[in-house]
Amino acid sequence: MKTDVVIIGGGINGCSLAYQLSKKGIDVALFERKYICSGATGRCGAGIRQQWSTRENIILAKESVKIFSKLSRELKEDIGFRQGGYLVAIHDEKELKEAEERVKLQRSLGVDVKIIDKDEIKEIVPILDPDGMHAIGATFCPTDGHADPFKTTFAYARRAVENGAKIFTHREVSKIIVEKNKVKGVVADGERIDCNYVINSAGAWSRIVARMAGIDIPNRPLRKEAIVTEKMKRVFDAMVISFRDGIYFSQQSEGNILGGIPGPDEREGYLYQPTFSFLNHMARTLTRYAPVLKFVRVLRHWTGFYDVSPDARPIIGEDPNIKGFIHCHGFSGHGFMLSPMVTKIISDYISDGKDSDYLHSLSIERFKGKDISREVSVVG
Amino acid sequence: MRIEEHPILSFERGRKVHFYFNGKKLYGYENESIAAALVANGITQLSKSLKYNRPRGFFCGIGKCASCRMRVNGVPNVRICIENVREGLEVETQEPLAELPSREFDDKGIDTLECDVLVIGGGPAGLCASLEAAKSDADVIVVDENFKLGGQLLKQTHKFFGSKHEMAGKRGIDIAKELEKEIIENNRIRVFLKSSVFGYYESDHGHLFGMAQRLDDMSEKVYKVKCKSAVIASGASENFLVFPNNDLPGVYGAGGVQTLVNVYGVLPGKKVLMVGSGNVGLIVSYQLLQAGMEVKAVVEALPKIGGYFVHAAKLRRFGVPIYVSHTVKEVYGEDKVEGATIVEIDKNWREIPGTEKRIDCDVVCLAVGLSPSVRVVSLTGADIRYIPEAGGYVAIHDDCMETTKRGIFVAGDLSGIEEASIAMLEGKLAGLYSAKRAGKDVNEDKADEYRKRLEELRAGPFGERGRIAKEKIRRLWKECH
Repeated sequence: MKTDVVIIGGGINGCSLAYQLSKKGIDVALFERKYICSGATGRCGAGIRQQWSTRENIILAKESVKIFSKLSRELKEDIGFRQGGYLVAIHDEKELKEAEERVKLQRSLGVDVKIIDKDEIKEIVPILDPDGMHAIGATFCPTDGHADPFKTTFAYARRAVENGAKIFTHREVSKIIVEKNKVKGVVADGERIDCNYVINSAGAWSRIVARMAGIDIPNRPLRKEAIVTEKMKRVFDAMVISFRDGIYFSQQSEGNILGGIPGPDEREGYLYQPTFSFLNHMARTLTRYAPVLKFVRVLRHWTGFYDVSPDARPIIGEDPNIKGFIHCHGFSGHGFMLSPMVTKIISDYISDGKDSDYLHSLSIERFKGKDISREVSVVG
Repeated sequence: MRIEEHPILSFERGRKVHFYFNGKKLYGYENESIAAALVANGITQLSKSLKYNRPRGFFCGIGKCASCRMRVNGVPNVRICIENVREGLEVETQEPLAELPSREFDDKGIDTLECDVLVIGGGPAGLCASLEAAKSDADVIVVDENFKLGGQLLKQTHKFFGSKHEMAGKRGIDIAKELEKEIIENNRIRVFLKSSVFGYYESDHGHLFGMAQRLDDMSEKVYKVKCKSAVIASGASENFLVFPNNDLPGVYGAGGVQTLVNVYGVLPGKKVLMVGSGNVGLIVSYQLLQAGMEVKAVVEALPKIGGYFVHAAKLRRFGVPIYVSHTVKEVYGEDKVEGATIVEIDKNWREIPGTEKRIDCDVVCLAVGLSPSVRVVSLTGADIRYIPEAGGYVAIHDDCMETTKRGIFVAGDLSGIEEASIAMLEGKLAGLYSAKRAGKDVNEDKADEYRKRLEELRAGPFGERGRIAKEKIRRLWKECH
């Protein structure tokens, strides 16, 4: 088989890339080891947030929101996008100062965000107890929101196939063929596929994929856990998060409350077994935030993996040493919300050679120097 | 309507108590489930469907289908079929998406329980597993969601066939009583009723499960359960059939009807159409006749009767028509079943126009098989496969009933749909080997005896499906190793 681009990984980024490239008439073959959404995408909270601490992430997220808001129409399928806002708790005066800085930066870049007090917290999410949250206020951005990760990814995949992309599920790429520092093809299930580009969008498995091309990347897979409760009448629209407690939760359109938090037994590795300590910690924190949820039952509890880069920022763009090897990983828990913009940048680069500042600032080369500026606005 | 006189059963209903349904005072008995008490009071609609707000009634009666969820004492989404009636309970119907709880409870903390063998499910397989493990000196915890032990034995009023070792000649309800007595008298066994195992978690040694016990004030107490091995015997759920209005109140699972009639002595209606002529369909039809209901007809999609001749002959003597090569075309009624149309089908399962018959009935009973309740075992990471002859997804296991997850055993319908005598023997095997995994000295000669008896039970033509299922499971087990 022969194709222009081989994409490895059938999550949100892989499927979005398959769609964007195929729309431009480029031959694409996507290989997914299991099934579409089987990795982090199908296990994530799928929040979409523009309230970041770095200019780079704010713009990427803001541009992504623009794309998300038109995506149902473009993909001719409902992706479940809704803008219920993100409410970010502020716990003390120090955090308030930092929040003021962030809000200033975010507003200067055109994000509609403001600082709210305890009364306004209760107006936006009536079940919250600001005292239980130990909150003195919050920041709130009404255009932040959520989309259904399954609907979105499958819509991308279906439209990609209609555009002529080939999507192979339950097929694992076992080898990447590199000759004279240039990608020549891959081997999947014993079959050789010739190609000019390989995109590594394998999420938590991206390190294993990169190694096939002889590239060492500094990412590590971190086990994360999440829960969803039984369905209840809808009582709030916003995603509630706290950088101090690390918690995030929101009520899904179907009525379930979905959320996560860093667990006491969080570890590196492909560990699928949930931990009781997470359940306890999550339940205790969630019900401190929203006491009325004390008597709502947890329906499911599962694990997924963050593909964590050293500075919690994505790694994108062509490898400096192996021509044709494209990085698209290291999203550190934010791959879903940044995917529209990131995959656009990558597909424009492959199709038209179009450059972008992000291809430099988010290049794998940044780890060669010492100057790592870490994104601090991280939850989950 | 409650049965006052029954040829073979006497109902131990217990004390008469009052409760409130949507503010109206009703009475029930302390040994009844809330759902049974409501049906006895003539209430057929228990909930509304999520998407289209269609009325939903009693279906399974054992906590598996969720069509009876109500608000009880301010707590939403209570499965009222496995919650017993108590004096003064406030039971309310709820919208499909329930309001948040309106009650506060004290924080009860989380306690840790330790045992050698955890047995999940207190039916024939689980009870036999518990006893067998305890006889090998294992400390056992047995957990069941219902408010009494016995599982589906409680509603089996017919005499068992098979081997005398598995109490052939006795009725299921009597077997349940004997097993329960043995369990209670055995001080190595602790029983947790109204308790659900909800999760399986990472642990350094042995196995760690999460369990929630429902308390009388409608709050729940959470436990961590640490065990060296576990027997999962979570049974099965009833299959459904597709036809217009299949969700109307009055369309029951055959097991649900048995629970109502045989356990609680409550009649679901007056006239029943039975769908399916396997042993369950035939036996339940006969039991409904005994209880005073009229069985209008039995329909069977296959060209011949599925169950034992002796059961079909009993029905024939009562003049019940059994229509083979027939199926339900539709059920009609406004908020509950008011009748049904059956139709003949050809060799290719197509309806033959002009063969429709109207059946005047207020109950349609689906006896169209069971599916293993595989969820808890799947949490453990045991290898699960689809095996049609086993009734659906089952955990692959060896002839010691151990799954691909070391120390996790299965027994009974969960390991492949068969019948209660086989469930009891599988329970004994699982109990024995789970005790062994927990480090106990066990007498493995007994296991050979159990395996021999299982083989005998599966030897007949009616054991063929189970035999094929187990052969497939064994083959897959070997592939896994």
